[in-house]
Amino acid sequence: MSVVIESTLTAGLAALAAGVFWLLGWRLRRAHIWLAPLGVSVGFAVLFWRVQGRPDFPPLDATHWAFWHALFALPLGWLAGIGASYRWVWVWGALLGALWLLVPPLYPLMQSGYWSNMAGVAYIMAFALATWLLMTLSAPVGDEAGAAVPFLLATVGGISAGVLFYGAKSASLAQLSGTLGGTIGLGVVFGLALRRFHLGRGAIALTVFLFMSLWTTALGFANLTLGQLTLLYLLAFAPALRLLPALKRQSPAIRFALPLVILILVGGTVVWLQYNAYMAQGVN
Amino acid sequence: MAKRFQTRFWAHVAILSTLVGSLQSVQAQAVTYRIDPVHSFIVFRVKHLNTGFAYGRFNSFTGTMVVDERNPANSSIELEIDANSVDTGNSQRDDHLRNPDFFNARQFPKITFKSTRVRKISNNTVEVQGNLTMRGVTRPITVRVEFTGKGRNQRGQEIIGFETTFTIRRSQFNINYGLNVALAD
Repeated sequence: MSVVIESTLTAGLAALAAGVFWLLGWRLRRAHIWLAPLGVSVGFAVLFWRVQGRPDFPPLDATHWAFWHALFALPLGWLAGIGASYRWVWVWGALLGALWLLVPPLYPLMQSGYWSNMAGVAYIMAFALATWLLMTLSAPVGDEAGAAVPFLLATVGGISAGVLFYGAKSASLAQLSGTLGGTIGLGVVFGLALRRFHLGRGAIALTVFLFMSLWTTALGFANLTLGQLTLLYLLAFAPALRLLPALKRQSPAIRFALPLVILILVGGTVVWLQYNAYMAQGVN
Repeated sequence: MAKRFQTRFWAHVAILSTLVGSLQSVQAQAVTYRIDPVHSFIVFRVKHLNTGFAYGRFNSFTGTMVVDERNPANSSIELEIDANSVDTGNSQRDDHLRNPDFFNARQFPKITFKSTRVRKISNNTVEVQGNLTMRGVTRPITVRVEFTGKGRNQRGQEIIGFETTFTIRRSQFNINYGLNVALAD
């Protein structure tokens, strides 16, 4: 099977798996907070299985924790949809959950001696805090109906794929990241076709968590630099810019266009530069 | 003494290696040689996009070999390869090979082989059974090793050479990326 057909089939299966749950969540309003994150979780699990094969547990290969993150972080996605009066449970749960989930994949780098214990602890703490901040600040944008939010998040996935492929030199992580973005992109279709369709807080929180899982994996095990990770991290906040009071007062077109322009200008430029540097050194 | 040991992993992932070392000790009839990485080679090949073969080598490795010519069953070999030293003549591809798609060298920096049994097949050939560990997965393999020569180097040290070619399936070592799509097993 050709690379293109194989990749398309993988993306299609992941989107199909996620889409079934999102459609059910759209129809069954009361179950939406459970089904929307479940769609992301199952979609990513299908995607990972197709790309990396059947993961074992606990994974011998630390990079395979990304699969289990999709399942173990699911409760964080469910918590994100909790009612306002209990939202403190989500906030603290996300912090503890992020910390707990990031230890297993990154600890082997301390075991192998690639990171000193001091550096490893510092990285894990910093990444957990950063992930928590991204999840809690981005989640509310999931309440917005329409195609704009999934489109912006899918764009983050596309930029991420480019940086992971040309910068981190990892085809698998790039495929996982790009196809996760593509899966979220199905939300664009639903957002246009279905009345009041929204991904929900939990789906957004789980998606950005999975992006962070892939980026930290790429920093630890592939060639992603701290600068590249920081850039991807900051770009991931672009959809949440829509929640800024100054932007909330603007027209829907501006609320969509401004984050998109930032993503395309900054992210697109970085991917373009890395692509040129990659090609200049010869294609593998 | 120096020894020459050549290995090829075939199938879709193929490795060819030549190892040379110097005499370390003699106990009874068994002689211990240290592998000389300068005159030894570990080379592999893998089929790319179902078309041509891509070749590469590992530049850094260490090991010892115990050779008992009278009783080959007493012979043994231990080899440790630095996975980060993979060299295919293209730095981009080498970076890709080191990362989680293939060797995941930051978590698993060493590839090792330790023999468990050596059996004489003919005057110039022995069968070596042992455990190959790569990417944290240990699998038993059996290879036929051919004696290629014996002599002395410029320092007057005894040298000895061997060569082997064999095939492994990378999927057995959890290296699954692009399996049968971009690269063969």
